Amino acid sequence: MASPGDQLPRTPGQLRPASVGAVISIEHLTKRFGEVAVVDDLSLGVERGQICGLLGPNGAGKTTTLRMAVGLVHPSAGDTRIFGEQIRPGSAVLARVGNMIEHAEFAPYLSGLEDLRLYWKAGGGDFDDANVDRALAIAGLGDAINRKIKTYSQGMRQRLGIARALLGRPEVLVLDEPTNGLDPGEIRDIRDLLQGLAAEGVTVLLSSHLLGEVEQVCTHAVVMDRGRLIAAGTVAELIQASSSAYIEVDDIARAQQVLESLPGVQSVRREGTGLEVRLDGTPRSDVAEALVRAGLKLETITSRHRLEDAFLELVHEEAK
Amino acid sequence: MFALFQVEMVKQWRRPRTYVALGLTMLVPLLITIALKANPPGLPGTGEQRGFGSRGGDNALSYLSTKTGLIVPVFALEVMSGFLLVVIVALFAGDAIASEANWGSLRALLARPIPRGRLLAAKLASALLLAFIATLTVVLTGLIAGAIAFGWHTLDVPLLGLHQSVTETLGNLILATLYVFWGLAGVVALGFMVSTMVDTPAGAIFAAVGFYLVTRILDAITALGSIRNILPTHYADAWTNLFTSGGANSDMLKGALLQIPYIIGFCAIAWWWFHRKDILS
Repeated sequence: MASPGDQLPRTPGQLRPASVGAVISIEHLTKRFGEVAVVDDLSLGVERGQICGLLGPNGAGKTTTLRMAVGLVHPSAGDTRIFGEQIRPGSAVLARVGNMIEHAEFAPYLSGLEDLRLYWKAGGGDFDDANVDRALAIAGLGDAINRKIKTYSQGMRQRLGIARALLGRPEVLVLDEPTNGLDPGEIRDIRDLLQGLAAEGVTVLLSSHLLGEVEQVCTHAVVMDRGRLIAAGTVAELIQASSSAYIEVDDIARAQQVLESLPGVQSVRREGTGLEVRLDGTPRSDVAEALVRAGLKLETITSRHRLEDAFLELVHEEAK
Repeated sequence: MFALFQVEMVKQWRRPRTYVALGLTMLVPLLITIALKANPPGLPGTGEQRGFGSRGGDNALSYLSTKTGLIVPVFALEVMSGFLLVVIVALFAGDAIASEANWGSLRALLARPIPRGRLLAAKLASALLLAFIATLTVVLTGLIAGAIAFGWHTLDVPLLGLHQSVTETLGNLILATLYVFWGLAGVVALGFMVSTMVDTPAGAIFAAVGFYLVTRILDAITALGSIRNILPTHYADAWTNLFTSGGANSDMLKGALLQIPYIIGFCAIAWWWFHRKDILS
């Protein structure tokens, strides 16, 4: 029986590795710390206007991948190219990349505005040409922009970090957990912002633990586990490949017994008035048939099209 | 490069610790002046105690300070270059990279099109400039306070065989300031090197101060013989002869030249290390 992971596109056309014309092209990227491969032979490409989410459990290698993508960490093998230029520390092409790696952190004794100004001037740029008004509007800090950063909340720092990443109208954004510490309204604002930027042609590579967030904002996703790519594709492709089902019947206890004895059913658990069934590639029609044969009255059987399900299935399958 | 240096200097001037450190370089010469005025020291002793070498000059300089205010900054420099000034320049050097790593702001900076070598050069230059400003502040504060307290006179102590015109003393003071600063450049380079390796500034600062103190202790062990001649602090006090023996000597030249391999060595290791470093903090 084919595993769910096997059904997923590992290198589909829309997210092909090292594709010609990809804005961000990662080829056989590997990073080892001693004997441990934190990122292991990762290849992917992100094209103009795409928002690609890196997904994976803690320790999957997402942040290390992003660090290598902006020249902070030296790869043990492979490379990252942005607009065709190989990324090395201080590469000139990084002028076209806005970034926020891990938490947004700042020198605490500076004000938000001073930090933005000095950050931009350090690269030799003129602050007046750095699209400051838009960045400040995104930061939404009001008068607090002139306060010392050490007085900022985590959410304010995060917003300032995103504003900093957007200085100078970058064509590529590399963001690590961009909505970390933000409230729901701010998360929605960032989602709208990223989708608006992608519509303008900005290419975004981000990592997130918030699967619902990735589902809503990303056009593409890459699932990583223990440093390796285990699936990649459009978010829609990943969700469709998920093989979970939600079932409502007249006798839940009896149905649970039937399903648990059915080959191809990985797990069954109660959810609300029904059952959530995780399938091991078995068609939902087979499940429905088994329930009817057992004399149960089937009221509802629907597929679960959620990225979270797909993600958990993929990671679960990979761990086997 | 200059833009990056400017940014580094602005960052330094925004930091309260810069003012505290420079405040100390003003406070100590003022306290020394007040102490000398309140309780003037007598003529240095006879025999060995009267010697004006690098080890016996303290009493002489404190005594000479009361003869003309021009010597007060010399005495302040002598007192401070033994420890406090070392701590202050170690602070500027050890903080340079490690503080940004500690805050996490280093990764934002290095993910920009800024070559690491250029960032290092800008930070080293700003640390050196601050070290020089700290040394200069000691001298200028001592000079002003000394002139007010003891006047602006020719150094003339026939009993000790000393005579220097005001111009001569001021020239020697400039030379002494540069020599003391240059003598601390090795400490700056070591602190800077360690700063590229650690994520906590205190580690780099302690390493630099520790390096200075250990070399001073080793230098005091005469049984080490000629090995002491290659210690970076061996000629650290040679500059006091400018005021007690009448002029520059070959020890000052040796001391100045001796710093060069240390500075080059520490900076080369810093450059090599920082270029191959993964920025994880």
